[in-house]
Amino acid sequence: MELPGDALVNFIFPNNAKVWWSVMIVLYPYLTGLMAGAFVVSALSHVFKIKEFKPIANFALIAAFCFGLFAATPLLVHLGQPQRAYEIYVTPHLTSAMSIFGYFYSGYLVLLMIEIWLIYRPYFTRMANQTKGFMGFIWYLLTLGQLEYNPASAKVDQKIIAVLAGIGIPWASVLHGYVGFVFGSVKAVAWWATALQPFIFLSSAIVSGMAVLFLMYTFIRWRQRQAYDFAMVRKYMAFLWGIFILDYALEVIELAFVVYERGYHWSLIEPLLKGPLFDSYAIMQMGILSVTPLLILGYVVLSNISGRMMIHMANFGSLILLLQVLFMRFNVVVGGQLISKSERGFVDFEWEILAKEGILTAIVLFVAPFVTYYIISRFIPIFDDPAAGKEGS
Amino acid sequence: MSGPSSTSHLYRLGIVLVAFFVAAVLVGWWAVPSSWNFDVDHWYRKDALIDNAQKPMVYGGNESCKDCHEPAMKKLAKFKHRALSCESCHGPVADHVRGNKKFAAAKVDKSRWQCENCHQEQINRPKDFPQFSKTGDIGKFVKKHNLLEKKTLCLECHNAHDPTN
Amino acid sequence: MMPIPSPIEADTDSRREFLRNILAGTATATVLMVFGPGAMALSDPTRRTKNKAKHQFAYVININNCIGCGNCVRACNKENNVPASVFRTWVERYVVTDEGVYVESPNGGLKGFEAVNKKLRQNFKKSFTVPKMCNHCEDPPCVQVCPVGATFKTEEGFVLVDHAHCLGCAYCVQACPYAARYIDPIKHVSDKCDWCYHRVKNGKLPACVTVCPNKARLFGDLKDPESEVTKIFKEDQWMVLKPHMHTDPTCFYIGLPREVV
Repeated sequence: MELPGDALVNFIFPNNAKVWWSVMIVLYPYLTGLMAGAFVVSALSHVFKIKEFKPIANFALIAAFCFGLFAATPLLVHLGQPQRAYEIYVTPHLTSAMSIFGYFYSGYLVLLMIEIWLIYRPYFTRMANQTKGFMGFIWYLLTLGQLEYNPASAKVDQKIIAVLAGIGIPWASVLHGYVGFVFGSVKAVAWWATALQPFIFLSSAIVSGMAVLFLMYTFIRWRQRQAYDFAMVRKYMAFLWGIFILDYALEVIELAFVVYERGYHWSLIEPLLKGPLFDSYAIMQMGILSVTPLLILGYVVLSNISGRMMIHMANFGSLILLLQVLFMRFNVVVGGQLISKSERGFVDFEWEILAKEGILTAIVLFVAPFVTYYIISRFIPIFDDPAAGKEGS
Repeated sequence: MSGPSSTSHLYRLGIVLVAFFVAAVLVGWWAVPSSWNFDVDHWYRKDALIDNAQKPMVYGGNESCKDCHEPAMKKLAKFKHRALSCESCHGPVADHVRGNKKFAAAKVDKSRWQCENCHQEQINRPKDFPQFSKTGDIGKFVKKHNLLEKKTLCLECHNAHDPTN
Repeated sequence: MMPIPSPIEADTDSRREFLRNILAGTATATVLMVFGPGAMALSDPTRRTKNKAKHQFAYVININNCIGCGNCVRACNKENNVPASVFRTWVERYVVTDEGVYVESPNGGLKGFEAVNKKLRQNFKKSFTVPKMCNHCEDPPCVQVCPVGATFKTEEGFVLVDHAHCLGCAYCVQACPYAARYIDPIKHVSDKCDWCYHRVKNGKLPACVTVCPNKARLFGDLKDPESEVTKIFKEDQWMVLKPHMHTDPTCFYIGLPREVV
């Protein structure tokens, strides 16, 4: 294996023997990205008035909320002292890129909740009026005691929803660009330290969020034996394809820039990419997992394929994209730490299965948003218009 | 039009949000450590300085030996190894004295390693540092020492405190 | 037009004062997240001796004197109860050959070093040992990134960890270019060398300095004109590790070979 710094043997600093940020910190930007990406879909409908996405706008919003609920849980699991996590609200150290994350993240969740509440208010009022007993009380709480829903208030709500979605787009962008900033601003880790990092994180977040949302959509439609909205699918794939082209271009530019610059960064990154990261970065992330969806989605968008075949191809493309972004998160977070700060060796990353920050915990935390979505979908109509009740209103 | 106004639900939402906000600020205020230094350039809990300073000391330095071993220390002043730290061979004072009273003997590692760790010839040592080699490389500071290959303890011939005599 | 100030002019102090005021003014006005405590520190090259604190501690490591015995690592581990897998200080051995550089630090140099093998012995150009530890930077990246203020720089120059406030997020571990920090595997909080703050506050030297047999490690107060570190600092022949990181360490190296990272 080629080593940096004229090293004859692999030398890592004694405190570098462990990869301090492992699977949990891979999962954290991944879930945050799914939230940001799913939100963008709802905003495309609410703000940019893309009419094909109107039927899935509420679905996207609820999904974004579910991912958002769990986006910070990997961080919590990762902390050595999770019971002190509140300190980030109490004594936020403003020079730290991480300090405002607590406020930004929870503020964003509040925004999502208010938007969802306004959208589902007609449904809440109707249920509160119809239901008795304990559930009736819950529905009553959700209406904040206002049991009437009139057209005038509906109009006001629609305006506020649009405004919230409008605020939500920059907020989601900043939130996820922020995650990239947390990594990109660490000068001590050569593989992270690039100003492109926030943009790469943001664009890949939208890609992964759109991809996971599409997989959820087709799965739900298939389970419920309902028809697919092919016009929407085509439009959706066009957006996904376009944003992924942007994302991939940024990733290629970042690499090309470092290669061409031939500076300090490349002296460390070259042996990393040719050595420990070759399979997961060169072959998988930049190769198979990127080229395949580019071709498949390109075909879906540009050809006049339709019907089941289109759904199959779109599903396959989305799944590969979801993997691409997962690999990207892993290659950035763990890959950066593989270069020892000795600049003369590489750290071994050991997969943990049952440990606190192991694969099992990661799977549980990744599945949790989907379970939450399922539970929520038992109580509120996600694909139907909340204002249109069974009796009509 | 009768019934509630079109914005009454928003007022209610506003009240809920304000209530949460006020509660959060109050809880936050209460949770800030009392000695917090509110200056972004020095953003820390002042009591942390006290906490950090309170750790018990383990090594006392040579001056801590003087109280009980004054005569021995005086003799040491002429010896070759006078500048060394007593505790690096005899162990830290905290393992020997507690509350001004000896509670355990100061244990000395008399093995050859103790001497060789510093004085066995090695390429990484400063050239003017006294070293001993089994073979070759004989110079002003690196001396050939035949007995190095045997298992004899260095201390059978040398005084640890004044090895050249 | 203002005349270009000549370097011989006597009013350097007032000019510097003026410049500092301007820089400090802009620094406070800009967004704090981007321009942290360092922005102001960097604007004043005399901060080490001019700040108002009573002491300004500094550390000196003289590579020419280090014999690689590992006394410092052993003493540090005992003094600070350092867990087995991590190090507050460690010693590296470099063997430079025509083919490349051979570096090792077996168990942080806890048990010293074995003699190198015959092949290296025949091929080496130079060889030396380098003690490493927290550099107590003037512009510490670890302090900058700590989200809750659980690590901080004191006026006297110590970079300390508040173990009762630390979240154990390890952001500081990532940000330190010197790998001086670790997460304590038992206490689950960040930790590192603190120049034996508890000893210095009680008038003692750090444990590593106390036991060093060949004056390879020195510690002292830059405000004390008689201290050894002051003299060394004034001679201006020192180097710091990774100067391109612009962390401005207060751990000065003498005789630092270019192969050392």
